[in-house]
Amino acid sequence: MVTFVLAGILLPFLGSLLVLILPRSWVKATSQLVTFAAMLCTLFVLYSLGMTGKVGYTQDLLFFGDIVLYGVIVDKISALLGSVFILFGFLVVVYSGGYLSEKNRDHVEHNGVQRRYYFFLLTFIGAMAGLVMSSTMLGLLAFFELTGVCSWGLIGYYNDEKSLKAALKAIVTTELASVGLFIATAAFFVLTGGFQLSAFATLDDTIKTWLFIGILIAAWGKSAQLPLHFWLPDAMAAPTPISAYLHAASMVKAGVYIFARCLLSAGTVPQVIGVVGVIMAIVTMFYGLLMYFPQKDFKRLLAYSTITQLSYIFFALSLSIFGSATAFNGAIAHVFNHALGKGLFFLVAGAVGFSTGTRLLPNLKGLLKKMPLVGICFAVAALAVTGVPPFNGFFSKFTIFAGGFEAAKNAPLLMILVVIAILETIGSFAWLFWVFSSSVPGDSSAEVAAASDIAPSMKFALVILACLALLSGFFAMAWLK
Amino acid sequence: MESPHLIWLLFVPLIASVLSLIVHWFGDFTRPILEFLHLASVTATLVLTFIVAGQVLDAGEALAFSDWLRVDSLGALFVVIVGVMGFLSGIYSIGFTRHELAVGYTNHDIAIGGLDMGRLRVFYSLFHFFLFTMLLAVTSNNIIIMWVAIEATTLSSAFLVGLYGTRPALEAAWKYVVICTVGVAFGLYGTILVYSDAVNLIQETSKASLWTEIVKNASTLDPTLLKLAFVFILIGFGTKAGIVPMHSWLPDTYSEAPSPVSALLSGVLVNCTLFVIIRFSIIVNLALGTSFAQILFLVFGVISLAAAVFFMMGQKDINRLLAYSSPENIGLILIALGLGGPIGILAGLLQLVNHSIVKTMMFFLSGNILMKYRSRSLDVVKGLMQAAPLTSFFLLAGVFALVGAPPFNIFFSKFLIVSAGIATGYWWLMIVCMLLLMLAFTALFRMGSSVTLGQKPVEIQNGESGFTTLAPIAILMVLALVLGLFMPAQLTDLLNGAVEVVNAGVTATPLAGPNGSASVAGPLGGLSVESFFSFFSGH
Repeated sequence: MVTFVLAGILLPFLGSLLVLILPRSWVKATSQLVTFAAMLCTLFVLYSLGMTGKVGYTQDLLFFGDIVLYGVIVDKISALLGSVFILFGFLVVVYSGGYLSEKNRDHVEHNGVQRRYYFFLLTFIGAMAGLVMSSTMLGLLAFFELTGVCSWGLIGYYNDEKSLKAALKAIVTTELASVGLFIATAAFFVLTGGFQLSAFATLDDTIKTWLFIGILIAAWGKSAQLPLHFWLPDAMAAPTPISAYLHAASMVKAGVYIFARCLLSAGTVPQVIGVVGVIMAIVTMFYGLLMYFPQKDFKRLLAYSTITQLSYIFFALSLSIFGSATAFNGAIAHVFNHALGKGLFFLVAGAVGFSTGTRLLPNLKGLLKKMPLVGICFAVAALAVTGVPPFNGFFSKFTIFAGGFEAAKNAPLLMILVVIAILETIGSFAWLFWVFSSSVPGDSSAEVAAASDIAPSMKFALVILACLALLSGFFAMAWLK
Repeated sequence: MESPHLIWLLFVPLIASVLSLIVHWFGDFTRPILEFLHLASVTATLVLTFIVAGQVLDAGEALAFSDWLRVDSLGALFVVIVGVMGFLSGIYSIGFTRHELAVGYTNHDIAIGGLDMGRLRVFYSLFHFFLFTMLLAVTSNNIIIMWVAIEATTLSSAFLVGLYGTRPALEAAWKYVVICTVGVAFGLYGTILVYSDAVNLIQETSKASLWTEIVKNASTLDPTLLKLAFVFILIGFGTKAGIVPMHSWLPDTYSEAPSPVSALLSGVLVNCTLFVIIRFSIIVNLALGTSFAQILFLVFGVISLAAAVFFMMGQKDINRLLAYSSPENIGLILIALGLGGPIGILAGLLQLVNHSIVKTMMFFLSGNILMKYRSRSLDVVKGLMQAAPLTSFFLLAGVFALVGAPPFNIFFSKFLIVSAGIATGYWWLMIVCMLLLMLAFTALFRMGSSVTLGQKPVEIQNGESGFTTLAPIAILMVLALVLGLFMPAQLTDLLNGAVEVVNAGVTATPLAGPNGSASVAGPLGGLSVESFFSFFSGH
């Protein structure tokens, strides 16, 4: 079984090397093939874990002396998230095949630079898989930094002043934050004499607190939480499929994932971490909501929506410190569901940009009439992200709130914060519904009326994701139970 | 054991140096003969360094000239660095000088000149003499000869720095000679203080200058005199190593010298001077305990690191940026040595090896850029990805390696340094260092993105720079990756031995620092270098 886990991690890396040396005309097909194979491997891991009663296991792989440098952990969480990250990676690779073309009105693609795109994207997918499956702190750290490096190459892909600046901003912010993880990992190594996460539970509370502060700083940076959030809206200068993958599905999830993984390994965690986490999450959530309103650019709106959705996840993870397992499961399910819902939303934004050449919301009217598929996907994505039943976002948000009430039994003050979070969810629903109602139904605006058709591979990715956003609804919750 | 190879290791480059100067006496085929001689010499030197290192691994040390030359594990590590980097710079030089010959020497006050046949002979001759002096510095057991060798490296490399004969190059060479000679004069004073003290004890003048003899009698040396001497040595040789605030010659020199020379200066020569400082620090540790040298290392390390990263910010010249990255890394190495203990020393030596590999590669790359654009300015050099995709790929990977991104080697040595710092209770210093390194990270990334991306100037032709200037880069890139993912057993043995040499006679428990109580030190307190490497040495 570990062979399949490893294949899921290594195939994308292999693909990224192949992309560099194979003839240019093979690049697209190779990328699609390796990510498809990697996806099959991780789905098989998920399936067989489900068949064997979801009993997790670890396997140490890389040693230095008798110190384990890297190993894989396969449990409910890593198998679930690993498969969704790679599955989404595959869909993004397929979608990019159609998106990066001379027909793209948002960014006309001239031939000749796609090697770099696929190299960084495939390395990124591999690094994400490696991160999720890691059973050691060093693995978390190394892949965490590797995703940052790749994100630089991807955000700066368009090679103009604006995107290069955004790319530099993104990498410097996330790497600055990752100093926290670096120090925490080094301290972990010094204190436990190794890197295995299982040793986390043996540390005493003071040390755990300091380590978690380091981890939280890294996680906040990567997941664009206050006060390290400012790189994400600018990073929308990336090609839209990249935004879908990095800024909705995977990279921003790397932050919450390391937090979740360390919480899980640490056993009991000092409540002060929970307090800090909950407060920062609520602050970020409200900041994100306020920033919805002035946004004219479709993608920037989605970026702020990502920031608030990630603070839900932080909120839930921090609640779990107060003893709510429900909140923890809700957080993991929300990572899963938000990846699909928000990823779909970004791909819709990409499709709109591709065919109309604009991403400005005031110019987008009557999408449904001109582009029924995109219009429907827009609706699905909006409903999934805001958490309307029966779309997937509902199940995880509901669980998070249930977890919040559960935790509030132990700490009554939390009730206020849970209520604030619920108010936020209503606010964001109202706003996204307004955006939806002004752009999707009704008569087409001039830009939309002149829209071209989107590429078949883009349609393929949109349809699959829309189906998943609808059908996967309770899958994640049921799986985690 | 007595090693004739050690003698040959010194003589081969010396002979090549002399022959290169007189090669035009033998007919009109100067360039082919020069290149053949050059290749033969660097290859022979490489082979001999491996043989000597092998002897050290087998017998513990290699001796020659009645103990005046002695290579132990620490020396062997540096000998191998000189050999490998010398060989790769040698290969690179061939492609580079051919290109510069084609440009031609013009005695104008232009920014970047070319070469003619006479200067080519001087280049090759001094290249080998430079190699010889560096090898002498790291193989010498006689502290006076050590000083002589370091002084000789200044003289030989100064003419290499000024080779282009342009105004900035000559100015850089002049600055280099003046500042480094003054600096190394302080080193001489320190050396003589140690020697004169040793003569009092050992009575036998010929033996009193031998490092091995001084180490044997270290505990009886005069502590005050030794303290004074070490400060002089650190300042003196530190000037040559580019430790801030004695670094002012460094950016000019590294940026004006021909690229293969910059690579040797930054990737190898710096290590040789650090080697001398480490040798003296061993004596000081034995005589005074570890804290004296460690505090000095820490202070100068932090100053170097902090100053260098600020100089790197906003730097518009690629070579100057890379040049300032040297004191940054030297600072890190000194900090690691200052943290001490087996893990700290190991981390320092590993960082030294890794920096040498990556920095040499970066200067080769800047040479390739220079050949293509005839400029080092970030305002001119743009769009390398269009102009030369392979060079551009290497440059990006090199930037990733230099900032210590995984899976490159520097990531692991940096990690070890931070671990050593936390283990010795200097966790706050490590946070400061990491934040300072972020500034260097930003500066290097800005350089990488500015050079590779963007629109290339229209007059620049597309095309790579040729096999001899790309192959050494590829080899170094592979080394940077391999040492990141897997260490060869021979290198770990050498490092292992070198750590023992540096840590010699230190009886204090490893990794016990200001806060090194049992509760904080944790299980790593029992971790020794041996157990760290036991997997590779097979027990």
